[in-house]
Amino acid sequence: MSASDAVIDVRGLTKSYGSFQALKGLDLTVERGQVHGFLGPNGAGKSTTIRVLLGLLRADGGDLRVLGRDPWRDVVPLHRRLAYVPGDVSLWPGMTGGEAIDLLGALRGGLDERRRAELVERFELDPTKRGRQYSKGNRQKVALVAALASDVELLILDEPTSGLDPLMENVFQEVVGEAKERGASVLLSSHILAEAESLADRLSIIRDGVIVRTGTLEDLRGNTSTTIRASLAQVPDPARLTVLRDVHLDGHHLTASVASDHVGDAMEELTGWGITALTVEPPSLESLFLRLYEDEGTLTGGSAR
Amino acid sequence: MSAATAADRAAAASRSGTLTGAASLLRTTLKHDGRLLAPWVVIAAALSGSSVLVYPWVFPTQQDREALAGAIGGNPALGLIFGPAHDLSTADGFNAWRALALGGFLAALGAIFAVTRATRGQEDSGQAELLASGVLGRGSRLLTAVGMGLIGSFLLGLVAALVTVLCGGAWGPSVLLCATFTATGWMFTGVAAVTAQLGSDARTASSIAVGTLGVLFVLRGFAYSVEAPSWTIWANPLGWTMETRPAAGDRWWPILPTVALTLLLLAVGFALQARRDFGQGAISPKAGPDRGTVRSPLRLALRLNRGPIITWIIAFAGLGVVFGYFATSLPDLAKNDSGLQTFLGADGTTSKALVSAFLVTILSLVGIIAAVPGVQTMLKVRGEETEDRVEPLIATSVARSRYLSANVLVAVGGPTLYVLVAGAVVGWLASGSGLGVTFDDAFWQAAATVPAVWTVIAVSVAVVGARPALSLAAWLGVLASFALTLLGPTFGLDDWVLGISPFWHLPRTQATSPDYTGLAWITLFTLGFLVLGFAGFRRRDLARQ
Repeated sequence: MSASDAVIDVRGLTKSYGSFQALKGLDLTVERGQVHGFLGPNGAGKSTTIRVLLGLLRADGGDLRVLGRDPWRDVVPLHRRLAYVPGDVSLWPGMTGGEAIDLLGALRGGLDERRRAELVERFELDPTKRGRQYSKGNRQKVALVAALASDVELLILDEPTSGLDPLMENVFQEVVGEAKERGASVLLSSHILAEAESLADRLSIIRDGVIVRTGTLEDLRGNTSTTIRASLAQVPDPARLTVLRDVHLDGHHLTASVASDHVGDAMEELTGWGITALTVEPPSLESLFLRLYEDEGTLTGGSAR
Repeated sequence: MSAATAADRAAAASRSGTLTGAASLLRTTLKHDGRLLAPWVVIAAALSGSSVLVYPWVFPTQQDREALAGAIGGNPALGLIFGPAHDLSTADGFNAWRALALGGFLAALGAIFAVTRATRGQEDSGQAELLASGVLGRGSRLLTAVGMGLIGSFLLGLVAALVTVLCGGAWGPSVLLCATFTATGWMFTGVAAVTAQLGSDARTASSIAVGTLGVLFVLRGFAYSVEAPSWTIWANPLGWTMETRPAAGDRWWPILPTVALTLLLLAVGFALQARRDFGQGAISPKAGPDRGTVRSPLRLALRLNRGPIITWIIAFAGLGVVFGYFATSLPDLAKNDSGLQTFLGADGTTSKALVSAFLVTILSLVGIIAAVPGVQTMLKVRGEETEDRVEPLIATSVARSRYLSANVLVAVGGPTLYVLVAGAVVGWLASGSGLGVTFDDAFWQAAATVPAVWTVIAVSVAVVGARPALSLAAWLGVLASFALTLLGPTFGLDDWVLGISPFWHLPRTQATSPDYTGLAWITLFTLGFLVLGFAGFRRRDLARQ
């Protein structure tokens, strides 16, 4: 893919606050038309990266292109083409949600009236309440409606669903999917892995100011393992289970993991013992995440924290 | 009676556990927010200490002191701020005149902000919710806030008294003077405890309290200056502290009603608090429009400052009435006041130069007060930024310079309007007096005052734009102008020091050939501060402390 297809192209980004180094040479590429999951725990540097991409913070070093432009210099033309939902939405206490939506939309260069009405409906938002009366989730809905009702090429969403209930979370997944169908690219930061798992075409995982893994979900799953839980008619002999790893036997119940591309072999092995019940869990990002952090944890475990 | 109810209520409350945890919360709050009280304590102590320190030095002879008394008696505008001068022949008497009204004002402001911060401020930020869900009685947070106000005011008085005595003040008058600071702080702790229950957010709560303070302050100065009947002074709680007359009678008993009023207000505050829901005020908001008409940064800035702008216009019209009415009563006052007679001329007719000096003083005062809401508007820009409300705006196609200029326009435009409103009202009233002032005289002098107001506000633009972490420095312009314009002349400071205040450079528009070069100079500084502010805002990171 050529560089011109990237809506976000970041190379070696660094940013410090005083003596604290928040970003230590971060690389991030988001391709046009894709939903890119940006994952990491709190404090890893997700919001700092996004604020640099929006020209709110000034990068200390590195090459930075958003929609082909410099986010610090070309603020106005660039911001006409993108919309942003902050992680912690703060509304004007005396203004209603409807007023805030219209203000943000107008400042971005107008919004799609029909879609605005539809989104207010689908998110079940009461736009006549004042900013100070809204809960966290409702404040987020206001920012989401304002962002998604405008026709932009790039959506930058910073943990947009941390206050939404599961129903609304579904609505969110639908509308982001629709935005993608319209051709928008999305940078979706999150620490909720399930959300990124179902929406994202590609994922980048950030830790301590650098990207530690990036790729498609399949890429990232490649070196993970699938969990198998089975109840067997006969108690198996662990020595003859060659494909399975981390075998744990509790009477007739077996728990084990297997490399994701060897699930078939594992089934063949187990069939001989008579399977009475079986669950096969594909590798979740959760497990990938945990493993990644455990590894890194042991690597850096010695350093003072 | 009120004292008894408050005590009973507190006792009953502690039995039922409504005040559980107050002691430990108060300790923590003192530790964290205590330093925010320090500036008020330092300024009040400096105000009182400096008077007794410099008095013998600036006014060494009896002759100097009589000249001072004449000068103060001859400029009735000063009485509006400081109240009557009972005895300026001693350092303590001078201190009582110079520090009593202002020291109390400072203590009251400090108390209001401390109480509001610990009640409404915490509720707005959500901090209080964490606390309220902990092991904490219902009344504990208000008690903690009230504790902050009472203890803070007490410390302010104590430190000011010690500093004053160390600087050479006599024990009796100094302690009484500083006790009036504490008493005023206490009364407004009570006022703030009530207003924190009425307004439904911190800004409304502190605005009502500060507004009450401002109205009482102006009424007191006015009552003394126009020699109003004595009941008008006794009807005003701020008048009680004035009537203690430190160094000119040393009366302690007027402190008693201040304590009684404090207890009464606290009882009302706790009663209201027990009745309201968390995060709500007595005035609950209605549903609003579902569509918005605010579609530009300027409209947004106007919308966010709408309430304050309307309130200040009314306040300045009121100020204009007070000052204008005051001007009309000058000839009457002159009949029994030798200082004023020299001011106005023996035959009752006045020389143009003297009237002009009177107008300049009064309108400079209006200008300095008008700069306060301007600085507040700029500080609100910083507040919006730390509340994360600027970020989503800058993430739209609004350039930083456009956002800032919209707010600067409101910060500068509002005060311009206020000064002109006050000037017009003063002119309208004064033109009917025997002073020989026409409407045009007053209005043009007011218009000429405006550039100095801009300079003072521009200082806050520079601070908020370039160095927002030092947001207290935004008040430097107001502070310097106030201190140098009103207090400076009594100290016989050199011209170059007085010239730091932009108000010193104002032209006297009624002079035969007014000199406008001063305006050009201060405007140059205004532009310089604006450039600093805009350049800084363009270059710095947003929303970082």
